[in-house]
Amino acid sequence: MINQKHFTAATKLRGLLLLAALLPSLASVAEAQQTGSVTVRTMSTPTSIFVIRNARIVTVSGADIDNGTLIIRNGRVEAVGAAESVSAPAGAQEIDARGLSVYPGMIDAATNLGLLEIGAVAATVDTTEVGDMNPHAQALVAVNPHNASVDVTRVVGVTNVVTMPLGGVISGQAAIINLNGTTPGEMAVTPSAALVIDFPRAAGGAGFFSQPQPPNLTETIQTRDRQIERLRNMLRDAEAYGRAHDAYRNDSRLPRPDVNTTLAALVPFVRGERPVMFRAERERDIRAAVRFADEMKLKPIIIGGNEAAQAAPLLKERDVPVILTGTLDLPPREDDHYDVLYENAAKLQRAGVRFCISTGDTGAQVRDLPFHAGMAAAFGLPRAEALKAVTLYPAQIMNVSDRLGSIEPGKTANLVITDGDLLEARTNVRYLFIEGRQIPLVSRHTELYDQFKDRK
Amino acid sequence: MRDLRPNFLLVLLIVSAVSICPRLMNSTVRAQQQQRSAIDTYAITNARVVTVSGPVIERGTVLIRDGLIAAVGANVNAPADARIIDGAGLTVYPGLIDANTSLAIPRPTPPATPGSEATAAPFADFLGPRTPPSAMSPNSTQLPGLQPEILAADIIRPGGEQIEAARSAGMTAALTAPRGNVFPGQSALINLAGDTPQQMIVATPVALHVGFTPLGTGQYPGSLMGVIASIRQMLLDAQRYREVNAIYNRNPRGVRRPGPDKSLAALLPALARQMPIVVQAEREREIIRALDLAQEFNLRLIIAGGAEAWKVTDRLRALNVPVLLSLNYPRRTTAQLPEADPDPLRVLRERAEAPRTAGKLATAGVAFAFQSGEMTSIADYLTNAAKAIENGLARAEALRAMTLRPAEILGVADRLGSIEVGKIANLTVTRGDIFARDRHIAHVFIDGRPVELKVATTPPAAGASGTVNVGGTWSLEVTTGAGGAPQPVSVTLMLQQQGERLSGSIQGPLGSNPIANGALGAGGEVRFTVPVTDATQTNEATFTGTVTGNTMRGTMQIVGRPSGSFTGTRPQ
Amino acid sequence: MMGQTIRLMTMMVLMVAIGAGGVETAAQNQRSGAQSGVRGGVSSNQQRVAAGETLIRNATVLTVSRGTLPNTDVLLRDGKIAAVGQNLKAGDAARVIDATGKFVMPGIVDAHSHSMMDAVNELTLSVTSMARIQDVLNPTDVDLYRALAGGVTALNLLHGSGNAIGGQNTVVKIKYGRPVAEFIFPGAPPGIKFALGENPKRSNVTVVPGRPRRYPATRMGVAEVIRDAFTRARDYQRGWDEHRAAAKRGDKNLIPPRRDLQLEPLVEILEGKRLVHAHCYRADEILMLLSIADEFGFKIKTLQHVLEGYKVAKEIARHGAGASLFADNWAYKVEAYDAIPYAAAILMRAGVNVSLNSDSDERARRLNIEAAKMMKYGGLSEEEALKLITINPAMQLGVEARVGSIEVGKDADLAIWNGHPLSVYSRVDATFVDGEVFFDREQDITRRPTLERERQQLEQLEANRPPPQGGAPPSVPRERRPAYGHDDDVWDGGDDHR
Repeated sequence: MINQKHFTAATKLRGLLLLAALLPSLASVAEAQQTGSVTVRTMSTPTSIFVIRNARIVTVSGADIDNGTLIIRNGRVEAVGAAESVSAPAGAQEIDARGLSVYPGMIDAATNLGLLEIGAVAATVDTTEVGDMNPHAQALVAVNPHNASVDVTRVVGVTNVVTMPLGGVISGQAAIINLNGTTPGEMAVTPSAALVIDFPRAAGGAGFFSQPQPPNLTETIQTRDRQIERLRNMLRDAEAYGRAHDAYRNDSRLPRPDVNTTLAALVPFVRGERPVMFRAERERDIRAAVRFADEMKLKPIIIGGNEAAQAAPLLKERDVPVILTGTLDLPPREDDHYDVLYENAAKLQRAGVRFCISTGDTGAQVRDLPFHAGMAAAFGLPRAEALKAVTLYPAQIMNVSDRLGSIEPGKTANLVITDGDLLEARTNVRYLFIEGRQIPLVSRHTELYDQFKDRK
Repeated sequence: MRDLRPNFLLVLLIVSAVSICPRLMNSTVRAQQQQRSAIDTYAITNARVVTVSGPVIERGTVLIRDGLIAAVGANVNAPADARIIDGAGLTVYPGLIDANTSLAIPRPTPPATPGSEATAAPFADFLGPRTPPSAMSPNSTQLPGLQPEILAADIIRPGGEQIEAARSAGMTAALTAPRGNVFPGQSALINLAGDTPQQMIVATPVALHVGFTPLGTGQYPGSLMGVIASIRQMLLDAQRYREVNAIYNRNPRGVRRPGPDKSLAALLPALARQMPIVVQAEREREIIRALDLAQEFNLRLIIAGGAEAWKVTDRLRALNVPVLLSLNYPRRTTAQLPEADPDPLRVLRERAEAPRTAGKLATAGVAFAFQSGEMTSIADYLTNAAKAIENGLARAEALRAMTLRPAEILGVADRLGSIEVGKIANLTVTRGDIFARDRHIAHVFIDGRPVELKVATTPPAAGASGTVNVGGTWSLEVTTGAGGAPQPVSVTLMLQQQGERLSGSIQGPLGSNPIANGALGAGGEVRFTVPVTDATQTNEATFTGTVTGNTMRGTMQIVGRPSGSFTGTRPQ
Repeated sequence: MMGQTIRLMTMMVLMVAIGAGGVETAAQNQRSGAQSGVRGGVSSNQQRVAAGETLIRNATVLTVSRGTLPNTDVLLRDGKIAAVGQNLKAGDAARVIDATGKFVMPGIVDAHSHSMMDAVNELTLSVTSMARIQDVLNPTDVDLYRALAGGVTALNLLHGSGNAIGGQNTVVKIKYGRPVAEFIFPGAPPGIKFALGENPKRSNVTVVPGRPRRYPATRMGVAEVIRDAFTRARDYQRGWDEHRAAAKRGDKNLIPPRRDLQLEPLVEILEGKRLVHAHCYRADEILMLLSIADEFGFKIKTLQHVLEGYKVAKEIARHGAGASLFADNWAYKVEAYDAIPYAAAILMRAGVNVSLNSDSDERARRLNIEAAKMMKYGGLSEEEALKLITINPAMQLGVEARVGSIEVGKDADLAIWNGHPLSVYSRVDATFVDGEVFFDREQDITRRPTLERERQQLEQLEANRPPPQGGAPPSVPRERRPAYGHDDDVWDGGDDHR
């Protein structure tokens, strides 16, 4: 376990020395974890005021502003508009963004970023709890703010991620975080954003290292049905638990109900106060998850959604959003059309289903987020929609569009200033702001680059 | 016309062998010994004779003496010592040959390898399928699975249900090879009757068998790549072994003793093209691998399996490579389950294509023989051969592929494969055309002797046979179909039901006899036969009826006689 | 000719069988089943069909070797690029494609793939140089078609990385739907796979109880396995030299040395006849291998993955090895933790020939984007980025005389893109190999209803219907084949290598 308090300058210095000795890869795993990022964060104070001038401002929620000015103050977008309509406050730091574009930071709504440093090293993996029912497992608690993926990801313009636990049936609670901060608390946008349910389903074979498959579908279906039944019972118990405790609070003459942290964790979700993410890929499982959510009166979000297009009418009718994680997956079946997953987003968009595009990645490749959206655009999703699919739509689906996902006065100043189209691979990020702080465009990777690029 | 009643009573009372020597009933071995002590001369008269090698004789006689075909023709007279089989309504074919099997080879119990239970999913890939070899060669230089010196002839065991099932389906001989991974050993051509391995073996060794299956023990070769590389290396080593031994044997003095190596020695006949190699290969790419290997080492190749051989006919023909084509057509075996993925189009096409392969090979001029391909029900052999005919294969070619062609490919056409004087008297005798849906295997002769037929040879209509229960003890009243005042005879029928198969026995006042050819149809149709032997000839009574609840009714037919009827009840 | 007649008959039968309508070119017909990822029944019996003539008009041509040519025609004839220029004329029978607004780019060469392989690793030994990928090719792998749809035309099929010295690789052109022999890249020099680090020392593999652990288990051991193998190879080489000399002298009763298929490829390496493609991660192990190669006097042709190669770029350049990288994969295991996306730029500027590879049937479909990333990470130019997936890998595989750029006389292996291939918004319209179309998006889409009808018909066949009762339980459906698999990352199983 990493004790945050001990993550001191000395540790950082040690990391630097290791790097200087050209030996970071020989460092122990624990060392590697701690030295994941050796960036000394030179954060601007929260009260800095920035004025960005002469920029093309892609607000996402409204029209693009060709020659715009944007004011950042107190961590928020204070004003945005055509150059002549916005005046800069005194003391603002000027950024001349001539030829550049300002975008809202991208949001990846389904990752495990911060929970895992090196996939193959079990000691660095905090994604998956023991057991099937872990509603009280909170991703935010295990997010390592100094995970190397944080810096690596944000410097391409991804400012926010949803990070979530994996495994079991109820995996735990997902958090929305800013990719900046010294403590998990500082990073948190919504500490408990959604409950994650790996919805029981008779499907598998995801990969070579996936769990050994049960011998046949009949048995798998039986297991699935048993798991759904257990899930149903647990959610009903949680609902009853919530009512019993409320009743006791209102009338202390009632017998005092037992406490149960597992059930207690479920109460806001079974009451529909917070959404529940259901992992489901096949049409059948998506439909089953929606029906289950209906039955239990939950607020569902589908994650995965490889066959969501086939269930589009139902998803639209029930207003169930989908976080697509499979845009770049290989088609699962031999007979699938080669572009079946590339065009999934376009089909949902045409059908009027709410959706967003995500990498679904554990962390290291979350930086590919714009290319997932780009591929969807190459296969029929309008470009403006592709951009929304990684900015405004995930913010809406995760109920943070009042703060994130577009450039509007009052919203959090999570902004990316680029020299080109945000989704293009060749585009460079020139400035980055998270909560109004200017973030240095450095990462473990730029540091190693700087260290070795001129080695003679 | 003779009075039929005495004969009929003979049927039911199991007169001949059974009544003469009732203590010998129910014992195959003893029955065979008993047969051996009888006179081994048979004449099948008045039958249609399909010789395969020559023209069809529409009405002729096949004379069998001392295990061989002594005479065949339209004008052959049965000698006085012959036991006459009235072949009216029957067709005599050369005995069918199953061109690739592991019949009579004991199935090994997998040795408990350390850690085998820990072979979790991620390891399954490189460990490969676990197919333990049939046998291990003592003091071999090679690991089990890589021992070409193993001879099927050394390990075969006579008898067993599989052999009985095969000959009841009309099979008289088979190529049988040891099981194993890469070099499982050398095959033998066996007759499917005999009390000892020696009685069964017709030819040995016939071919060197080669498979592309990794060892699966954690030892090299553990992958397909390694398998092919190890075959290559062993063949190279064998070439050198031959060379070095030649040098040594010319003059041992001054030459380091090469030392014996029976594994390498076993490869030499194949390298000298004296012995063919049989390579199990179904897919196009597997066949191409086999062809490449054979070309690389100038081997005489035979392809076994050959599902996609039709895609490679140019090369097969150019290299004169025959195919032992499996009649075990792929078909869907999985249940309908709405949550399952549909089968890939590729698989659907393969299944559609399978019955067309034989016809395509024939058209392309590729020699082929049929094999059963480890089908679950050997009765499908003829049914599937008939499907090949429906899909473009000439009838004569189909018959040839089960008789003369395998004999030719396997080098035993001088003794098997056609009805010719001097050849081994392996005969398959049917009622109805052998490819007809209602065919019925009436007699099978192996080495000149009739063999007992035990299981259904007519596949019943696919259907809900499992829903009809006909098992149990039935009281039957049987009435002959002719004569003055038919008098019903009471017998007891015991039926056991196994899917579409029926077995059991029939019991009269003087004894009992097992039923044969028992089959159950979807709608409760039952069919079985009982052998009928009197002093001069063997015939059989065929019972065909329908079960409704606890009643059964139907007809009874003896060859050449008017039909009778029967009714039955099953007391609760 | 007889053969041709039979071929035509076969094709006609096939066309009927798959419900293909109308008259198509031979190439289209060959590929008919390949549409939508279903392979048709194309047989080895079919001889190679002449590719005829195709004129691609008015495209932006990214030649890679000679810059970008706007409004340019490319004429393909008999499988070769016959002309590149403006207002080209073609014969009357030529297929003419209006590529106005579109881009023509050389076929992508993927220098590290495990596609179409029925086996990936021979894991039982640490030196498996006798294993040959060419023995285990599966030309029906549907992922080949998906790679074509990403503009890829050639693959370097490598043995897995489970052994210090692995098996012999094979370079193929993706002639999907053709007999396997037609895939083999003509004239590509032979090669072999080496591997260093975690995979050959089996670091991430659970030991099977009761089985001895395979040597080696450390990087020390990996080095010794390689050194030992080459020591034996050199000795083997001497043994044969001595034997041949003795035979020449006329010595009697000579017993020839045993031909050793494990050592022969290593002798070829020593003789400079076989290219070494070495999987490696850490800087120290890279130096180790280069020094063993120097010690035995052979060259490493490419370092594969070579994630820390940027730390020792000058040493790699000095040896003359190429580097074939991931664009930006990192952190999936400890030895990948120092990987940086700037590696390509650093190595390139140090004078190393650099390519980007997929090592994954998934990633192979978007190598254009991987190349585009390198413009961001290290500031490569468009042409430099394109080289990473075309001429550079072609050079690494020794096939640069035939593919990797659009030049007259080279093989007509190219793709037409609907936008600039370095843009995420672009996709492939058509892919040509040897002048024939092996992927055509429009036809793929047109074909879909036909295939669906065929499926419905086939499902009616008795053999395709479930048993009337009972029947085995079906297998569990596969819901995903996730992106970001690294076939090499742990021990080269990979998602696709069942």
